[in-house]
Amino acid sequence: MYGTGVTWATVRFATGNGGQRRLEQRAIHPRGMRIALPATREVYVSRLQVEHLYKVFGPRPEEAVQRLEAGADKDELRAGGETAAVIDASFEVAEGEIFVVMGLSGSGKSTLLRTLNGLLPPTAGAVHYDGRDLTELDAPELRHVRAHGISMVFQHFALFPHRTVVDNAAYGLEVQGVPKPEREERATEALRLTGLEGWENSWPDELSGGMQQRVGLARALATDADVLLMDEAFSALDPLIRREMQEQLLELQRTLRKTIVFITHDPHEAVRLGDRIAVMRDGRIVQNGTVEDLLLRPADDYVASFMADVDRSAVLEGHHDEAEVTARA
Amino acid sequence: MPRLPLGSWAESTVTFLRDHFSGLFDVISSIVSGMYDALDSVLTGPQPLLLAGILAVIALWLRGPVAAVLAFAGFALIDSIQQWHQAMDTLSLVLVATVVTLVVALPLGVWAARNRTVSAVLRPVLDLMQTMPAFVYLIPGIFFFGVGVVPGVIACIVFALAPGVRMTELGIRQVDDELVEAAEAFGTGPGKTLLRVQLPLALPTIMAGVNQVIMLGLSMVVVAGMVGSGGLGQSVFTAISQVDVGLGFEGGVSVVILAMYLDRMTGALGGRVTAVGRRAAAALPRRAGTRVLAYRPQASVAVVGVVVLGLVAGGMSVFAGGTADAQVSGKDNVGKGRTVNMGYIPWDEGVASTFLWQEVLKERGFKPNVTQYDVGALYTGMSTGKIDFETDSWLPTTHASYWAKYRNSLEDLGSWYGPTSLELSVPSYVKGVNSLADLKGRGGEFKGRIIGIEPGAGEMKLLNDKVLSAYGLKGEYKVVAGSTATMLAQLDRSIKAKEPVVVTLWSPHWAYDTYDLKKLADPQHAWGSGDGVHTLAHKGFASQEPQVAKWLKSFHLTEKQLTSLESAVQKAGQGHEQQGVHAWLQEHPGIVDTLAPVGS
Repeated sequence: MYGTGVTWATVRFATGNGGQRRLEQRAIHPRGMRIALPATREVYVSRLQVEHLYKVFGPRPEEAVQRLEAGADKDELRAGGETAAVIDASFEVAEGEIFVVMGLSGSGKSTLLRTLNGLLPPTAGAVHYDGRDLTELDAPELRHVRAHGISMVFQHFALFPHRTVVDNAAYGLEVQGVPKPEREERATEALRLTGLEGWENSWPDELSGGMQQRVGLARALATDADVLLMDEAFSALDPLIRREMQEQLLELQRTLRKTIVFITHDPHEAVRLGDRIAVMRDGRIVQNGTVEDLLLRPADDYVASFMADVDRSAVLEGHHDEAEVTARA
Repeated sequence: MPRLPLGSWAESTVTFLRDHFSGLFDVISSIVSGMYDALDSVLTGPQPLLLAGILAVIALWLRGPVAAVLAFAGFALIDSIQQWHQAMDTLSLVLVATVVTLVVALPLGVWAARNRTVSAVLRPVLDLMQTMPAFVYLIPGIFFFGVGVVPGVIACIVFALAPGVRMTELGIRQVDDELVEAAEAFGTGPGKTLLRVQLPLALPTIMAGVNQVIMLGLSMVVVAGMVGSGGLGQSVFTAISQVDVGLGFEGGVSVVILAMYLDRMTGALGGRVTAVGRRAAAALPRRAGTRVLAYRPQASVAVVGVVVLGLVAGGMSVFAGGTADAQVSGKDNVGKGRTVNMGYIPWDEGVASTFLWQEVLKERGFKPNVTQYDVGALYTGMSTGKIDFETDSWLPTTHASYWAKYRNSLEDLGSWYGPTSLELSVPSYVKGVNSLADLKGRGGEFKGRIIGIEPGAGEMKLLNDKVLSAYGLKGEYKVVAGSTATMLAQLDRSIKAKEPVVVTLWSPHWAYDTYDLKKLADPQHAWGSGDGVHTLAHKGFASQEPQVAKWLKSFHLTEKQLTSLESAVQKAGQGHEQQGVHAWLQEHPGIVDTLAPVGS
């Protein structure tokens, strides 16, 4: 099927592999499919690819995109009643990587995240996942992707108050149509992974914030989706609990190796978790790179000031190792 | 400003609907009345106290022992004031109306919650339904559904639909957007999101809506009573139209007991059947001292209780079966069990003559049904053939407007009493006022008011159009329209306070026996000659029941007969009119054969 219409591209990208960082040359299909190179081995390819993505709210969004492409800025659009939340975003997320999108509130990062699983349809651009452009899927296909491939963790947990903890964790499996005994078993296992063994029959409002978010995480893990979208998942927690949750996520990630897109406004959290970090400002990605890139080669003053109070020495010695040390201390 | 013919548009719409959709209305009508009959036979079947016990067990399940005791006491009270049957009729009516309302309101509410256009369109429609006075659509409703239970149910539905739709919409909109988003993010489709997330979380609000639907439905029962729906509404309607304070209170108290029961039970139901409600109940701390009062049986225990009492009730009504109807034998059995539907308005000579004919027809082997109506409903019902005949039309004057409108679908079986007279009357302590002419210049004394009756009555029209101008009273006096009941209440009040008052009255009327009144003379004959009291039937009744029509055509009562009959009925009291007629028939032996001769 890969006939003449398909072009092969050679791209550079990073894979996060514990503390090791490698830049490799890899051939991939432009639609981001996992493929075997004719030469020899299977390679890791990007799980999510975002190309020239725009999201504009307002009465004439398509027209607004054309004006943005022609060089209009956000403020000009606002005069016409249109709000450009995401402007020309392009990036790739590699398999097994934690990709952090960082920015102040209102910078468009949550909107961007919701276009990745089609909760918000993008105004223009493409989101490639598993060989398909999500923007071209119809509603049932998109729901299938959300049920099986891409799950989500929410800032305010979004637990269903009328379901017990185990029923919350089993929700995605229920949508998939997994029979009750199996889904309870798998939900219980997911709860065990997040440290909630024994709380299965409690109600969400009986749990503390941190525990509630563990349920939220268990719900996302239980479906066996390989991509996790985490929307300010730890921002509503107090600092100690937040730190604990970050460490637990890293530990889980060592064994589960999910592809994670993590939204945050906290540079410490970004540095702690991110294999790569994209910084958003006013709807645009102003820099996309490793922690080292952001610290040593900030694209502009905005990125530099964002990163100003991050402890450089600790990070540059290998931030993941440092994190592990803290976790065990 | 040009006159916009809004009214005639409405009228032609009604005519169009009646002509082209009568099949649909018949289907709706038979579904609703079928539901009502089924439920009503279940509720009125068992012994009252047994059913009260069943209702108390439900109260025990939902709210605990205190509520159960109060519920039982309340229903026992209804039974002891002899409103049980009416209360069960009303309960059936309200429950059927509630079910139909919810079947319509829930999907509409869901739709409105998901679609802003639908919500925007529905809002004014619901406002209209809730605020449009019931009679505006009820009387046309009789064209479509006939008199009886169905228009009563329709009135409840129209009135109660709004909170059902609004609370459903509100409940669904109130569900946290993040939860809906979470459901979507895990691949839930819109329908399943509704079932798994939105409806369960909206249920407490929706249950509050159900509660409102029931309460508003109950508040319409009196209006329903005016179009022949029976039940407590009819008790109250009868009582207020005859200024029977006692019966009105009893009917009213029964409505209140039903309302409180339904309100508390549906309120508690929200806590028992919804997951969120159960969760909240489980979180409440229990203190040792209140454990007995906080006892709630398991649902299974409650079901067992209801079933056991239900079986006892069922068994008892089976063994108590058998008809108490006396058999009518031989040549007297003209009716052979055929049904005759009689309607009446709560005017004394109408009540008396209607119940007299009920007895007479029973003796002749018919099954006569007797129902009280509002006057508009009575004529509309008769014109559609749902009511066979009535005995209390004052023609040619008082009921002229109804006769003019419906004469093509009615037939006049002649006058059985008359002539009557219309007049203004004052208490006899008002000195110096003996004729209509004497009223002139004394408007200040009467506060410029003449106390009138129903604005649609012919007497009111005559008074306003002719009588006032004939005596030059226009401008000085204002005719206060209301109802016969309010006129009589005002008369009573003024007499107790010895204030001057002038009221619109007619003869014969019991007020002349009760109070010392002066009829004002009419030297200019502005009132015209008196009405005769006519019997009217729907067109075709005479060929359908020629014998009955023949009896009715030759029906006549003397003033002595009528007043003695009226006083016998009055003495027997509200709800026991039949005993009154029985007593009167015993004092007048042979009158049944005079009224309904057989085999001649």
